[in-house]
Formats: sequence, structure tokens, C-alpha cells
Amino acid sequence: MHNFLAAYSWINIRFLLIGLGVTIFVSIISIFFSSIIGTVLGIIRYRKIKFVSLIVGFIIDIIRNVPLILVIFFTYFGLPEIGIKTNPLWASILALIIFESMMIAEIMRAGILSIPKGQTEGAIANGLTYGQTLRHVVLPQAIKNMVPALVSQFISLVKDTSLATIIVLPELTNHAQIIYGQNTNYTIPMFLALAVMYFIICYSISKVANYYEQRVEKRLAK
Amino acid sequence: MPMIEFKNVQKYYNNFHALKDINLTINDGETVVLIGPSGSGKSTLIRTINGLEDIQSGQLIVNGYDLLDKKTDINKIRKDVGMVFQHFNLYANKTILENIMLAPKIVLHREDEENKRIAMELLEKVGLASQANKYPSQLSGGQQQRIAIARSLAMKPKCLLFDEPTSALDPEMIGDVLKVMKEIAEDSSMTMVVVTHEMGFAREVANRVVFMDQGTILEDDSTEAFFKHPKNERASQFLNKIISHED
Ligand SMILES: Nc1ncnc2c1ncn2[C@@H]1O[C@H](COP(=O)(O)OP(=O)(O)O)[C@@H](O)[C@H]1O
Ligand SMILES: [Mg+2]
Repeated sequence: MHNFLAAYSWINIRFLLIGLGVTIFVSIISIFFSSIIGTVLGIIRYRKIKFVSLIVGFIIDIIRNVPLILVIFFTYFGLPEIGIKTNPLWASILALIIFESMMIAEIMRAGILSIPKGQTEGAIANGLTYGQTLRHVVLPQAIKNMVPALVSQFISLVKDTSLATIIVLPELTNHAQIIYGQNTNYTIPMFLALAVMYFIICYSISKVANYYEQRVEKRLAK
Repeated sequence: MPMIEFKNVQKYYNNFHALKDINLTINDGETVVLIGPSGSGKSTLIRTINGLEDIQSGQLIVNGYDLLDKKTDINKIRKDVGMVFQHFNLYANKTILENIMLAPKIVLHREDEENKRIAMELLEKVGLASQANKYPSQLSGGQQQRIAIARSLAMKPKCLLFDEPTSALDPEMIGDVLKVMKEIAEDSSMTMVVVTHEMGFAREVANRVVFMDQGTILEDDSTEAFFKHPKNERASQFLNKIISHED
């Protein structure tokens, strides 16, 4: 019990919260950009544009099937080799964006495939361009179908930020390690704190998603 | 004035020759019924008219636009050429009213108030004004098909294409859909191309009947002449088969 009280001193908690801030910052930026890039790549792969779709599909399959940690090594150790300077923060964000974009691209493609092709034909024949059809008819329905998969993906992303501790990104897991590195009695309390903090962020993501999903459903069932 | 003109049109799906040397002219205001056995290329032919299928050679001119010309903006053709499908193809995420108002709003930039007024008029016309705020899945097939027709009409097209509009419907729903189609055909400015097995409809409203088999047009005749005595042997057999089926 004494361990816990001492482990959760204000100084330690503050240090953890700073790490948590970095984790949230990295997660938000990565989620934002990988959603945009993933959507575009998913659509390109779906549309079967000569060569372009093939190449995009090939890249997606390669990156999806490589451990994230290798992508992090690439952005942190590899890029400087070809003259691009990085630091742990931007190398981590870049790695997460690259990796998650590919995951989201596949979720997006599956989402679009889940909408009957007839609706696209109906819209095109009705005079809409392909882009307008996507925006007004296909994507609103596809995204609704994709919510559960996207939520899981975003939750993995938040947890995966902890991998960046390997390149000494000062995020939540890294800060916890520093604390128990100085006093091994704090190991268990720190693990517990980590579990609680990751749980809170990830649980919030699924709650927000639920809320959004229900709102869409209500609109549809009107 | 021809609304649609096929000249020596060839269409391939990879190596499969789906349309063989098609020559066909459909004039402004005409109603043409296209018949033929399953797999003969009726859907393929009608879908080339609004560019849902591309053609490989020949010439296809629709509403003055050459479909093989790279400079042709296909969306200009689609604005004036509506299409009704076998499976309705309504937007599942939009209400009936929104289904009808979407394309006029986005493509024609029609004002909301006018857009709604026109949509409601069309819903009256197809007898479904009371369903305006429902979603497609809440309607029967016959109702959905009438909505699909209203959705096409909202663009104020010059030409409407129908690909087996009643084939997916329960028999008791077919009459309502055909009735709406007959009313449209009575408007002498509308050009209609209809793939159907409803010979009663063809006899009553078509100016011409075109018979296809294996990717080729075998007969193109006035409705009267066609039903009196098809010149082509296979057309005659086909006609006997579906008419005896109807009785
Ligand atoms: N997308 C496609 N790819 C390959 N073959 C097709 C495709 N669509 C149709 N076909 C073939 O073209 C022929 C004509 O089909 P279709 O135009 O649908 O005939 P119909 O409407 O008269 O039943 C059929 O043999 C069919 O198998
Ligand atoms: Mg067909």
C-alpha cells in the first residue's frame, strides 16, 4: 500500500500526464491524417484505375503485412540515411500515419464494397458525377457500416503509440518506464496507472463512436 | 431528328462480342420496345446509350453528342437521358423526397422550394405523395419503381431508358408501373426505349419493336407489322413463346 501512495505522488502523476498528453497528441494527428489518406487510397484501390490502383494495392498489401515497429525503424533510422532529418516525435507520427493509412484504406474499400452497386449506377444515370455519387450516396452509407472497424482501428492506434517508446518518444508508456526504472517498487503501480489511462482514452473513443452511430441510425430510421 | 443513332456499333466484354454491328435510329418522341431472349444483349445495348457501358467501335450519337468522342462530357448526356432499372436502385440512406430532389439539386442547382414543388408534383403523378418522407426499404417493389421513375422525371429528361422495369415485381404491382409508363409515353416529346417482356404494353404504346438475338438486331419494325407477322423466324418463335406464356 505504501508503494502505491508513494508511486502516485503528484510529481509522478504529473510526469505520467505529460506522457499521456504526448500519446493523445500523436494519436489525434495520426488519426486525422491517416483518415484522409486512407480514404483516398481506399477509393483509388476500389476504383480499379489502370496501374495506379495496382500500385496502390501493392503498397497497401506490403505495409499492412509488416510489423509497425519496422515502419517506425524505417522513419527513425532509415530516413536520416537518405538525408531526411527526423526526431522521435515526427518519426513516430509519420510511421503511424503510413501504417494506419493502409489499414483505413482497406476498411474504406470494404465499406464501399458493402454498398450495392446499383445505387451507384442509379446516381450516375441520374446525372451525378462519380465524385458526387461517392460523396452523397456511397460514403455516408459506407462510413456508417465502417464505424465498428474504424473504432477498433483507432483503438489499436492509440495503444500502438506505446511502441514508439523504443525510439524514446516521451509518451505515456515511456514515462511510466522512466518512473519505475528509478524505483522498481513502483513497477506494479505504474502498470496499473498505464492500464487505467489507456482504458480511459480507448473507452472514450468507443463511446463517442457509439453516440455518432446512434445519431446516424436515428436519422436513417426516421 | 434522331435522338439516338447507332452506326455499326461493336461492343466487347474482353473477348466476348456482345453487340455485333448495331445500326439503329430512334427519333425524338418515339417509343421503342426492345425484346429478345435472355443474354441477347438488350441490357448491354440500352446501357451504352447513357455510357454505363462503353463501346469499342462504330458511332453512337445521343442527343447530338458523340459517345466515342473524347471531348464529349458524358454527364451532359446523362442530364437529359434518364434510366429506370430492374431493381429500382434508389438511395437507401435518403427519403423518397430526397431521392427525387438529389440530382436536380446537385446537377441542375435547382432552388430548394422549386425542387420540392416539382418533386411533390411528380409524387402526385405516380400516386405516392403520401410516402414522401419514408425510406425506400419501407415501400413495396412497385412503389419503389414508381419512385425511381419520378426520380428520373425530376431531371426533366428528353429521353428515358427502361431496362426490364417490371421484371422484379409481383404480378399485382406491374399494372401500376405500366400505367405510369403509358402516361409518360403519351407525352409526345419524350423519347422512350423500353426493354420489356410486357407485350400488352408494347402493342399499346410502342411505335416500333426491335428484336435482338445473340448481340444482333434481327428485326426492327413498326409495332403493327411486328405483331401481325414478324419477318424473322426467330422473332416469330420468340413472340409465340412469350405470348402463349402470357395467356
Ligand atoms: N459485365 C459483363 N462482363 C462480361 N460479359 C457480360 C457482362 N454483362 C453482360 N455480359 C454478357 O453479354 C451478354 C448479353 O448480356 P445482357 O446485355 O445482359 O443480355 P440481356 O439483357 O439481353 O439478357 C450475355 O452473354 C452476358 O453474359
Ligand atoms: Mg438484361
